[in-house]
Amino acid sequence: MSSLALDSSPPRTRRRFTGWFSYLALSPSLVVLAIFFALPMGIMIGMSFADPQTLSPTLDNYHRFLTDGLSLAGFCRTAIMSLLVAVCVTALGYPVAYFLARSRTRWRAVVFALALSPELAGVVLRTYGWLIILEDRGFINDVLLYLGLIASPLPLSKNLFAVVVGLTHVVLPFGILSLMTSIQGIDPNLERAAQMLGASRLSVIRFIVLPLSVPGIVSSMLIAFTMAASAYATPALLGGAGFKVLATMIYEQVLFYINWPFASVMAISLLVMMLAISFAGVRYESRRRLRTAGAKGDN
Amino acid sequence: MGTKRCFALILSAAFVTQANVAGAETLVLNSYGGPYEAIIQERIIKPFEERHGIDVVYDAVGSAQQDYAKIKATNGRPGFDVAVMTASQSLQGCKDGLLEKLAVAEIPNLASLSPGLSSAAGPCGAVHEVQYLSLLYRTDKLTSAPVSWADLLDPQLTGKIILPTFQNIMAVYLLEMMSLSNGGDLIDNIDPGFDAMAKVSAQSVGFEQSSAILESYVRDGSVWAMPFWNGRAQLLVDEGVPVDYIRPREGTIPLIATLNIPVGAANKDAAVKFIDFFLEKSSQEGWVTGYRVGSARTDIDVPAELQRRQVQSVAGDKSLHLPDLMLLQAKLPEWAERWERDVVPHAN
Repeated sequence: MSSLALDSSPPRTRRRFTGWFSYLALSPSLVVLAIFFALPMGIMIGMSFADPQTLSPTLDNYHRFLTDGLSLAGFCRTAIMSLLVAVCVTALGYPVAYFLARSRTRWRAVVFALALSPELAGVVLRTYGWLIILEDRGFINDVLLYLGLIASPLPLSKNLFAVVVGLTHVVLPFGILSLMTSIQGIDPNLERAAQMLGASRLSVIRFIVLPLSVPGIVSSMLIAFTMAASAYATPALLGGAGFKVLATMIYEQVLFYINWPFASVMAISLLVMMLAISFAGVRYESRRRLRTAGAKGDN
Repeated sequence: MGTKRCFALILSAAFVTQANVAGAETLVLNSYGGPYEAIIQERIIKPFEERHGIDVVYDAVGSAQQDYAKIKATNGRPGFDVAVMTASQSLQGCKDGLLEKLAVAEIPNLASLSPGLSSAAGPCGAVHEVQYLSLLYRTDKLTSAPVSWADLLDPQLTGKIILPTFQNIMAVYLLEMMSLSNGGDLIDNIDPGFDAMAKVSAQSVGFEQSSAILESYVRDGSVWAMPFWNGRAQLLVDEGVPVDYIRPREGTIPLIATLNIPVGAANKDAAVKFIDFFLEKSSQEGWVTGYRVGSARTDIDVPAELQRRQVQSVAGDKSLHLPDLMLLQAKLPEWAERWERDVVPHAN
């Protein structure tokens, strides 16, 4: 075969033009990102090293964050809450996503609409709905008290439980969409083949669908975690004064104590938490891919 | 209707709107929602618009501290011309150079205000009302009326108290009064206040930030006592809710509410006219009888029964304790941490 036949790459001038054009096409997004993301982020990082009164450089804000006890407690609370929401969203969303990905019945459209319907109402409205249901004087406690099943109201609101319930409701549609896309990418013939070879429905899910939908599970967990960690309205309303997370603590520092440097430190810690979780998720997924590819190569 | 005709109609409407916008002076007023908004619209804003021909755009978003944060974040150009805040923000804003100094030459009615109250708010704040932290209680639930802040620790109130969050200045004032009642003071020796608040917190069902939500607990009877501004408390009494309020025997702390102009306000002339109008004798009478609060003017004519329960002057009234608001502001971050550590965990 001649070298001419092998060289199928575009001519050099055309390549150069394509390269410049790519940069040109990217530039509006880059400018927007630079102005509205990189610049504020830089300002925030710079501000985190400023003294709240004199604005002179200092590490005191970081020292306070690590030693005052309350800030680290808020950090841990945020991480635990977000992890629980991620697990709940993925566990609850998976069966719905599987149904939506595989069903061909007319109920699919109804379930799809129902799954996304929470997004039709605002977050604050939905959160107030949960407050009415969960609070001491709320629907659940009223019914239980009326039926004589409890003597005093159960602590269903102003705590971790209430926030996780509220946020799961808020984030669930995003988890479902992410899982559905992943499950749709799995060839249904694999499931049929397994069943024809005698695998039970449960075995098909356990050994075929679940392993192949890991990217969707990881993606759903990451979306739910980051959305929960950065949520403000739901933790503020359902968590109350006794359950403060980083988002509500940042709000207080910005608006009530007007201590922007310390708020910046909290915001950076939240960012680091989310980046770390995203990095861990992506790394896990790429390693799993490599392992799978290696196993295929061995065969 | 043909497309051309429809287009012409839209154009004419746009021109008319533009003409109105260009013709009328506008004032953006940042204040509060709820009953405050309804009363200020009826008693102050509407008569002001009629007299001066200035359109008032009402912005009910944010508490006084949140409004001040916005003024600070925008370096004095928050997008509103007059802010309803308190003496704390007035003093801080003046110190930071973010609020205009108000002069009698421009606002003649400033001269009619009680000198004690005016000086407490500093040169950037026009005192338009005074309230105080009262102890609100359900008359149909308590066997006897409370007389002291210490009555919040009465065993019959276990699980029947709601407290404001620390971001609501009511919590700070309650802490200070508990300190004063237990051998401490308003700023430097606050430890007795925290000890007492830990006990009050153990009596409480929790914390809420907004006055409207706090009020709802008393309305439905799930809470029998709580600290509350006396003006809002009086509105509940007038509404027929079975409640009353007291100024406890240890005294209380006044809330001095002010009108302020950010340095970068776009409509300063209109802002000055509005403040002067709000401080007029007739406006103050309308406001005091509507919102059931005290006035910094001593020459207003209001029913004696209403006046008896209000604050008109801080000077000479031994039941009123006014902390150094600048020192208080500086202490807030430290106290907020202690509140979260020592008070909040005790709530039920």
